[in-house]
Amino acid sequence: MADKITVSGFRHFFQTERGAVQATGTIDMTMRAGEFVTLVGPSGCGKTTLLKAIAGFIRPSEGKILCDGRTITSPGRERGVVFQELAILPWRTVRRNIAHGLEIARVPKAQRDATVDRLIDLIGLNGFEDRYPHELSGGMRQRVAVARTWAAEPEVILMDEPFAAVDAMTRLTLQEELARLCATTHKTVFFITHSVDEAVFLADRVLVMTKRPGTIKAELAVPRPQAGGRDWDSFTADPLMQKIVGEVMHLVHAERVT
Amino acid sequence: MTSAIAAVRSALPFAALIGVWWGIKDVTGVPDTMLAAPPAVWNAFVVLLTHGILAEYAAASLRMIGLSALISFLIGVPLGFAVGTNRYAARALEGTLRFVQGISGIAWLPLAILWFGFTGATTLTIVIYTLIVPIIFNTMTGVRAIPENYTLALRSLGAGRLRIMWDVYLPGALPSIVVGMRLGMGYGWRALIASEMLVRQGGLGDLIFGARTFGQIDRIMVGMIVIGTLYIVVDRLLVAPIEALTLQRWGVLRR
Repeated sequence: MADKITVSGFRHFFQTERGAVQATGTIDMTMRAGEFVTLVGPSGCGKTTLLKAIAGFIRPSEGKILCDGRTITSPGRERGVVFQELAILPWRTVRRNIAHGLEIARVPKAQRDATVDRLIDLIGLNGFEDRYPHELSGGMRQRVAVARTWAAEPEVILMDEPFAAVDAMTRLTLQEELARLCATTHKTVFFITHSVDEAVFLADRVLVMTKRPGTIKAELAVPRPQAGGRDWDSFTADPLMQKIVGEVMHLVHAERVT
Repeated sequence: MTSAIAAVRSALPFAALIGVWWGIKDVTGVPDTMLAAPPAVWNAFVVLLTHGILAEYAAASLRMIGLSALISFLIGVPLGFAVGTNRYAARALEGTLRFVQGISGIAWLPLAILWFGFTGATTLTIVIYTLIVPIIFNTMTGVRAIPENYTLALRSLGAGRLRIMWDVYLPGALPSIVVGMRLGMGYGWRALIASEMLVRQGGLGDLIFGARTFGQIDRIMVGMIVIGTLYIVVDRLLVAPIEALTLQRWGVLRR
């Protein structure tokens, strides 16, 4: 499959009052169309900086980032982003949040409603269409954030620890739902996480970063066990998966920030 | 029934205030040229009301505060947005804005009178000046308190500048804008009365200052009571409900 995202020679510095601070080491990576790539690494290694550069929120200090062979210079609707929290608008109902991207794209109301209904079904928020975010649990809010991004039909989805602020039980459900969603929609996904289990569970390929200034120190392919997504029961029972988790854990462990 | 009790309850302190006033007048025997008794003030009120004088002066004040509020809103909110969305402008202007806030509107009166003479333009300038600073300040603060993720997320949904302004900044900053309006109305109302006293071109300030010239203590006191009452009416019946509505609709929704 063709490369969807190409990062070559990327390096980034932040300008602060006390001079430039190096946010990342030199990073090269690619994502093929339809691939689910997860990125694990210690805090402050530059994971989010890389994601923001791919999203087009920041211009790389060095190197180039391409989407379908074209240099990324700004955010675009072909690259959707899901944040850890504080992303859906508190003054919009669930329905209007999910429909926001379609509203911006001037999709007619009937078509918008159909898409939103389908997604609400998919994320199991039936009956909550007209609720406001503060009336929902953290897990529900993240479901809405994911649905809003999916509704806009981007080709690439960038997720920055989207389930980190959700309780552990809900997180397992959300991960399974995401795996199922991806299996049916074939999006190219870039997913940042601190959790090794999560990284291996979701990925076609796991990238491991070094500590700050981070570079990619290893990548591991994760063979998908079955076509229809995955679930935690079979994942934990699969010795191959557990072996990969062990390997990634070992790589991450060496980068602990002490 | 309960609303009747509530009305009595909120009227009680005012009744007490009148009682204290009357008591002081009776006990100390202050002459009528210094302090008028409640019945005299009531009579003056009836006279001013029936002759349409009170309505005319009050209407002038209300028109002026209304016009000032409208202009301040139309200029102050966009200005607050412009400053609030620009980190450098915000940093540069924050100190200046506080400095300017320290110079009360009344302190501008000498200059304004030199520039515009004893006209409504002077009062309008002073009141707008007083009203607009809290509006700019609160709009700016409101915009800056909006989480960056809201705008980033919208940009990656394909939203342009105008869209973000309309869908994120305006609703996000609305509770702050309303608070700024309410503060501004309070400051503006006081500056208005002060300016009217000097400019003497109508308004309640003009009414009470004019009454002083003829030693009409009762009229001065009617004017003062009307000034306070109108402020409560404007604040409680107009501004507070809008604030409650936006806070209920937006403020609480914020996490």
